[in-house]
Amino acid sequence: MKVITERDVFSMLEIKREHRQRNIRRFWGNRFAVTGSAILLVIILLVWIAPFLTTYGPLEVDPKNRLQAPSSEHWFGTDNFGRDLFSRVLYGAQVSISVGFSVALVASFLGLVIGLLCAYYAILDHVLMRICDGLFAFPSILLAIAIVAAMGPMKSNVILALVIVYTPSVARVVRSVALVVREQIYIEALRSQGASAWRIIWVHMAPNSTSPLIIQTSYIFAASILTEAALSFLGAGIPAPDPSLGNILLDGKSVIFNAWWMTVFPGVFIMAMVLGLNLFGDGLRDLLDPRNSQTKK
Amino acid sequence: MAYKHLLEIKELKTSFSTERGVVTAVDGVSFHVDAGETVGVVGESGCGKSVTAESILRLLDEKKTNYLGEICYQGTNLLALSIDQMQQIRGNEISMIFQDPMTSLNPVFTIGDQIAEAITQHQKCSKQDAFSRTVELLRRTGIPAPEQRVHEYPHELSGGMRQRAMIAMALACQPNLLIADEPTTALDVTIQAQILELMQELKQESQMGIILITHDLGVVAEVCTRVVVMYLGQVIEEADVETLFENPLHPYTQGLMKAVPTIDGDRKQKLHVIKGMVPSLHQIPQGCRFAPRCEYADSQCSQEPPQLHAISPKQKVRCWHAAKFMTQGEEHERHHLD
Amino acid sequence: MSGYILKRLLSMLPILAVVAVVVFMIVHLTPGDPAAVMLGDEAGEKEIAELRSQLGLDLPLAVQFFHWLANVLQGDLGRSYFSDVPVTQAFWEHLGPTVSVAILAQIIAILIAIPIGIMAARRRGTMIDQAVMGVSLFGISVPSFLLGLFLILLFAVQLKWLPVAGYKPLSSGLWNHLRYLILPALALGFMQAALIARMTRSSMLDIIADNYIKTARAKGLKETMVIYKHALRNACIPILTVIGETFGGLVTGAAVVETVFNIPGIGQLIISSVERRDYAVIQGTVLLITVTYVLLNLIVDLLYGIVDPRVRLNRKER
Repeated sequence: MKVITERDVFSMLEIKREHRQRNIRRFWGNRFAVTGSAILLVIILLVWIAPFLTTYGPLEVDPKNRLQAPSSEHWFGTDNFGRDLFSRVLYGAQVSISVGFSVALVASFLGLVIGLLCAYYAILDHVLMRICDGLFAFPSILLAIAIVAAMGPMKSNVILALVIVYTPSVARVVRSVALVVREQIYIEALRSQGASAWRIIWVHMAPNSTSPLIIQTSYIFAASILTEAALSFLGAGIPAPDPSLGNILLDGKSVIFNAWWMTVFPGVFIMAMVLGLNLFGDGLRDLLDPRNSQTKK
Repeated sequence: MAYKHLLEIKELKTSFSTERGVVTAVDGVSFHVDAGETVGVVGESGCGKSVTAESILRLLDEKKTNYLGEICYQGTNLLALSIDQMQQIRGNEISMIFQDPMTSLNPVFTIGDQIAEAITQHQKCSKQDAFSRTVELLRRTGIPAPEQRVHEYPHELSGGMRQRAMIAMALACQPNLLIADEPTTALDVTIQAQILELMQELKQESQMGIILITHDLGVVAEVCTRVVVMYLGQVIEEADVETLFENPLHPYTQGLMKAVPTIDGDRKQKLHVIKGMVPSLHQIPQGCRFAPRCEYADSQCSQEPPQLHAISPKQKVRCWHAAKFMTQGEEHERHHLD
Repeated sequence: MSGYILKRLLSMLPILAVVAVVVFMIVHLTPGDPAAVMLGDEAGEKEIAELRSQLGLDLPLAVQFFHWLANVLQGDLGRSYFSDVPVTQAFWEHLGPTVSVAILAQIIAILIAIPIGIMAARRRGTMIDQAVMGVSLFGISVPSFLLGLFLILLFAVQLKWLPVAGYKPLSSGLWNHLRYLILPALALGFMQAALIARMTRSSMLDIIADNYIKTARAKGLKETMVIYKHALRNACIPILTVIGETFGGLVTGAAVVETVFNIPGIGQLIISSVERRDYAVIQGTVLLITVTYVLLNLIVDLLYGIVDPRVRLNRKER
């Protein structure tokens, strides 16, 4: 039998990298993925240049100009305190993106570590996976509400709650992929050559988990934005007076008869962000999930 | 009788529109089947034999499929019928058995339900009648304890039993024509023999015509009266079974014959292999379709497509050099007799 | 079959144990003293200490947990600190509207989504298919509370066809009951319909290509029979899965949508308890909903056995 050396493994990874470059070209051929990326890019750009677009701060109260309809002065109108809605929606979107991004990043990292450790150490697997199953059993919004309710409504607590909610799903996906890799002959060969557990986990098992991890991350990004908006709408998220798309909608609900703009504009922003992320995620999945790309052909 | 043959296929052309353009899977196929005879359709996979079979019942996705020519069943052109009229024919006048009994039965209904469904679909009878006829059919196809088996699901039966159930379903309305698409390929050899024997018995009882699609010449020799050999969507040779086995005229048929191992032949002799691969339907050779793989091919073969022509009343062949093989064969025979 | 049910029930125990620990820990996540938080800023030292001992907060954590767990197992989830009503009673009182919304949403979703999914599968690649896929992608991207607000704007504010918000119990007449439920159920059912339609489409596409569908056609069955009897029965399994997996989410979704429409259900119970820091109610409600959620998944799992005989057989063998 041919002994598989680490160099062989690396050359295999090299081939994978070439595949990946071809895939990037394919990604741009995917209509949905391109639309999704374009939507996201526009929103990120808008949020980025928000300070230059608006002359009003998101917290500037102007009681004389309450509930003004959209005009050239206030593009999205004003809210029930006379604050400029355009400015509030853009800053709210910024909050959404920063919450979503933080949650996606932290949950993916924690999920990756937990998933890999579970795949490698059987004892840890029993303990951690039971905990993940337990957390998985909760309806996600409910668990997030309970955690935020206990810890107090603050941006950092919202992020923490969402990390707790979404980490188990990442861990599960990473674990299932890593388990398959672990059983492959070259890992056995590496182990018999005395490679350390650390090296096997990080150099060999982790790279194989990246595709499902990236897909999962994009979905968690979208789900976090949705859940944050729902939490803030329910009053268990970003507290007033700081703007968030969810709490603008909550304010808007009480004046829905007089001020449609307070519902429509933040609503459209949420939809656009989530649609963009879902399209982007679907594009990634078509690209990275071998099962899917096979059926696509 | 107003019609000549039970089923007569005239210049059938079945083509599919695909992403890569139009593909003609069956290109000008003609043959006929009479009551009480078993016609074998032989060829490698991809030669269009299954597409021909499914064209008869029009089971192909008609949005993507285009038929030309005629398929006359008792004098009526099936290709001209409406979908409703076609549904009257399917399972009632013409039935079909498929290759893989594992996947051809619906896993979520009992086999009794599935067979009785074929009866109630075409004949007015009470559920009870349909049920007792189902039991009778299962008994007739040799399934032991049919009273219990009717209530079982396909996954509870063995492969051979499932194929018997498929046959029972196909025979439920006493069809005049049975199309069997590789009915024994997925089965064990002993079971194969039993299923073939069963089909022979049933044919003798009912005088139905059978089209047996197979790539197994052994099966053909055993049960068929006439054979149609197909290659790349065309009929390349047609003959009654004795003639074909004694004197195959097309080099492809000859190759197929030589590729069958025999027990009494010289064991040291290597099995014959037809060189090359079946070309894809996207790159059909210009002249004779078999020319690129044929050891006798000359410039005529690679430029002009030969026509299917009768060599004798019992034999038709699509080859420029058939006459040569004819004499060769006869000379060979004479030599043998000396 | 009963052995299988028992086995499934046993496998739920570790999950329920984790759920219990997490729910118990919720109170203790509070920064500082839960009793002080509950009483607010004006409370004196003495009052806080009283509440602490009343709630057992001065005992060691493990002891508190086992006390709490023992009570929970006996069906005692504590009392609302705010209204002094037992938590289970408050839960039952608020459950009706939530379940009404969830079930109506589920019915609307199934009735719309399955025929649409089948239609899209049969006309794969056509404009109809693309429209269904596009709308369903939209459906997955719009959170139900947002859709609820949009529906209010359209049907209640602009067209004035339906009431803006509120709730009438079934006892006030079926039409009255439904009138108030239509918008919330639509808002909630849309995403559900999108999910079911997508699953129906993809599993029908797989099944239509299966050999037994060809057998059914070869039997001479009408196309409607082939699709709605032979194919749909097989597609039921993945469709049931997605319905089952999402029904729990539908109940929590109903809790969120309710707050948009001011329906006095579980959602309002939770939100008002969050505002009042009524921990016993939050804990109890979260626990009850989660346990229901777990049980629903179990029921769906058992339902497979009825739809798919192969599953039944495998279980017999076990």
